[in-house]
Amino acid sequence: MVFKIKKNNNNEIDHQNQEFSNNEYVIECKNLNLWYEDTQALININIEFRKNKVSSIIGPSGCGKSTLLRCLNRMNDVIEGCKIEGEVLFNGKNLYASNADIRLNRKKIGMIFQKPNPFPMSIYDNITYGPKIHRVLDKDILDKISEKNLKRAVIWDEVKDRLDESAMGLSGGQQQRLCIARALAVEPEILLMDEPTASLDPIATQKIEELILDLKKEWTVIIVTHNMQQAARISDYTCFMYLGELIEFGETTQIFENPQKKLTENYITGRFG
Amino acid sequence: MSNETVFDNKLYLLHDDFSYLKKNREPYIKWALFGFASIATLFVFLIIIFLISEGAPFFAAVPLQEFFFGTNWLPDSDFYGAFPIFIDSILVTFGALIIAIPLGIFTAIFIAELAPPLLRKILKFTIEILAGIPSIVYGFFGVIVLNVWIKDIFQLHDGRSWLSGSLILAIMALPTIVSVCEDAIREVPDYYREASYAMGATKWQTIRRVVIPAGMSGITAAVVLGIGRAMGETMAMTLVLGNKFRLPDPLTNMLSQVAVITSTIALTWGPTAAGSLPQLGLLALAIVLFFMTLLVNTTSNIILNRVQKKFRGDLAVKKHSKLRNLFVSNSILKKLVKYKQLMATIIISLLIFWIFPDLLSKIIGSGICIGASTLFWGRSKISPKYKRFIDYALGLSFIGWVFSTWIGIFLSVSICLLILVVLTFFRELSTVGQQRFWFGVVYTCSIFAVLMVGIIIFYIVSKGLPVFLEPGFLTGTPKNSGREGGIFPAIIGTLQLTAGSILFALPLGVFAGIYLSEYAKENRITKFIRAGIDNLNGTPSIVFGLFGVVFFIVFIGLTRSILVGSLTLGLMILPTIIRTTEESVKAIPHSFRAGSLALGSSKFQGISKIIIPAAIPGIVTGSVLGMGRSAGETAPILFTAVKSTAQYVSLSIFEPTMALTYNLFRLSNEITGGLERAAGTALTLLLLVLILYSFAFIVRLKYEKKKRW
Repeated sequence: MVFKIKKNNNNEIDHQNQEFSNNEYVIECKNLNLWYEDTQALININIEFRKNKVSSIIGPSGCGKSTLLRCLNRMNDVIEGCKIEGEVLFNGKNLYASNADIRLNRKKIGMIFQKPNPFPMSIYDNITYGPKIHRVLDKDILDKISEKNLKRAVIWDEVKDRLDESAMGLSGGQQQRLCIARALAVEPEILLMDEPTASLDPIATQKIEELILDLKKEWTVIIVTHNMQQAARISDYTCFMYLGELIEFGETTQIFENPQKKLTENYITGRFG
Repeated sequence: MSNETVFDNKLYLLHDDFSYLKKNREPYIKWALFGFASIATLFVFLIIIFLISEGAPFFAAVPLQEFFFGTNWLPDSDFYGAFPIFIDSILVTFGALIIAIPLGIFTAIFIAELAPPLLRKILKFTIEILAGIPSIVYGFFGVIVLNVWIKDIFQLHDGRSWLSGSLILAIMALPTIVSVCEDAIREVPDYYREASYAMGATKWQTIRRVVIPAGMSGITAAVVLGIGRAMGETMAMTLVLGNKFRLPDPLTNMLSQVAVITSTIALTWGPTAAGSLPQLGLLALAIVLFFMTLLVNTTSNIILNRVQKKFRGDLAVKKHSKLRNLFVSNSILKKLVKYKQLMATIIISLLIFWIFPDLLSKIIGSGICIGASTLFWGRSKISPKYKRFIDYALGLSFIGWVFSTWIGIFLSVSICLLILVVLTFFRELSTVGQQRFWFGVVYTCSIFAVLMVGIIIFYIVSKGLPVFLEPGFLTGTPKNSGREGGIFPAIIGTLQLTAGSILFALPLGVFAGIYLSEYAKENRITKFIRAGIDNLNGTPSIVFGLFGVVFFIVFIGLTRSILVGSLTLGLMILPTIIRTTEESVKAIPHSFRAGSLALGSSKFQGISKIIIPAAIPGIVTGSVLGMGRSAGETAPILFTAVKSTAQYVSLSIFEPTMALTYNLFRLSNEITGGLERAAGTALTLLLLVLILYSFAFIVRLKYEKKKRW
């Protein structure tokens, strides 16, 4: 009974929140600067990402787009010699505050990597790894979680009969969707994607793109891509970065059709990059 | 997507109670792992501290000058001149390297550059077998085969000699040289080779002019490591050298009986009383040995580190050359560097004049040195005309040095003339012909290496099999001090010691390896720990044995027992396990760690649930290799665990025991008429070790196939 009440409450609150905060910023960077050893990789970044939208970050190689993305769930912490100044606000709280819980924030902000990185274990174990980390140990619940998230990532039909087989045996595109399912299994609020289709063939890429458009209904997606067509196809907002600086940020149609800065226009039209 | 599951999920993963995330155990885990890693380094210092503090009274009683330069080693009459022992050690090692270096380098070239994949695997396995054969089995092979051959060929009373020792050591140093050389050659990037082929070079020209020069520092490290391996070898030397504490007479007589540091300790430690001057003298020898190997290992590690950095374009190499430029730009130093060849020649010649006793050897010896140093220091800078002259001079003086007689000189002159003819002919050959010739040399060396394994295994099996198949040999107890009966207690003793050592070393080693690969930052402390572990790896087994005595028995107060033996052996195999763990953990892609962290796991959760399971094949391989090594070692247990009277199975870990290696040692050394049983024991030991090594090899092979990331 208690659970049921909780469920109703949760749903109501979630519903309200969604209505209420539909156009709110879920994650904001304020005066963000980052150095690797002596080289500055991010210069005074100020940006806000909207809830339930797909935002893409584009720019030439080495412009700091992946670095910026990795700042959003503190994956830069593992890199030695990396120094960060400024604030990243997630639901209004600074991720880099001394009392911030890195692991809880990472649970709430999922990440998909450039190269599919399923763990060298079975498909089922891959999906349930996250929930187990977060103290879900009931076998029935884990079964339900794995089914639900494999369906969310539209890979359930392909793997439902071989959940116990190694995930390393899947194709690249399947591996990437499995990684998305794995990230979803810990119920994040935001999905960060670091060039998720860079190592995939066109058909697998198309499937992932369809999936991203589908995910938008429930999650906020921030995607780094060096494929401008991809950014134009799937994102609501686009941000262009160059040499560690944020050059322009706005609605995708505006960025691609009517860029305000010369640099953006040059890049969009393929004059460099 | 039913609502029911959503509900369940929300309950389980969207609730607000994440208090468990607040408990951050990471710092404790990190410090605990750091502790494990430090223990390994700590032991290096304990070895130094205990050997020196226990051996120090010796230097108070015997002047350093007498110890290092006195020529009589007669502890019973209070003479402690270890000079002959040092010189003998150098000579035996030198003799071994002359054989092992060319053989090893050519075999490595074959394995890395020429062999088809299947043959490569077979050859590598063969070389690994060679590395796995226990030292005492080599010694036994020397006793029953090599010594007999030398006795017959040179018509001696006793085949035990410097020559015999050098030959055995050459075979034993071969696997080290081959494997390190092969790594060095394979480390040379393929685009070097492609660039050479693209200019129309033959395969041999590419190997000779591009691959070998590029891999030169790795090859040098291989040679240095080979020296370390040869210097630290103990048990085989106790059986084949004859153990006479004197200089060869004349100094070039390879048939004379000599003694090296390690064999002196192993053979004469037993009867000495604890703390007596003779025992302290042996400790002093061990200290010298320890520092010699320390020097050799440090050198090779420095070289190997530079090799790795070289191909990765690391900054450190640039730093090094800057440092060098700084020194070399100084004009006086510049001149000195220019004449380094000349200076080295003068210094080495002076040394030789002092060491060699008679005039003839003096002349010949200085000839070698001038030749060798010219070759070594400045070959590329002299004109081709002199190069050829140096080649001949070197060949002439070497052969003259070996024979040291007028006939020898005559022989060497004719051989040199022959070489001259062949070389002249060779220079006329086309590049393809040259390639054919050198490939012939390479093939011959590789075949020779395989042949050695074949000969050793053939003799051990053919001598041992009849005894091995006797009913009751494996299951019976020994009779008549082991001349008859079975070896059951020795088998059990070896298994106990092996199990004990792995129990001690595995947890310590795995945790230390994980610390080094996952937590250690590349700072001074880490470098220090790594250096400690590397040196522990190169420390001779007899030094471990003495450390076991002075630390566990004298200092802690335990008695000679399975426990002490296991600890000593465990310490010896610790570096192997640390290194293999570290390497297999490092081989796991970084993306797995990132994937785990991105789900909100702690660092250690990722390590324990993903990294370690994926690294298990590597860790298993390392531990099995360690077990093989600890089953085959004699020197560390000689004074810590075994007793010749322990001819029963001991069930308590606080009692001494019998072991296969020790049984083989005493049967072929102390017990007359024990050779027959010794052969059976050698075969049993060989089988045990080979089974372990094959198991490790198969695990690795399977793992390599399965690995998909």
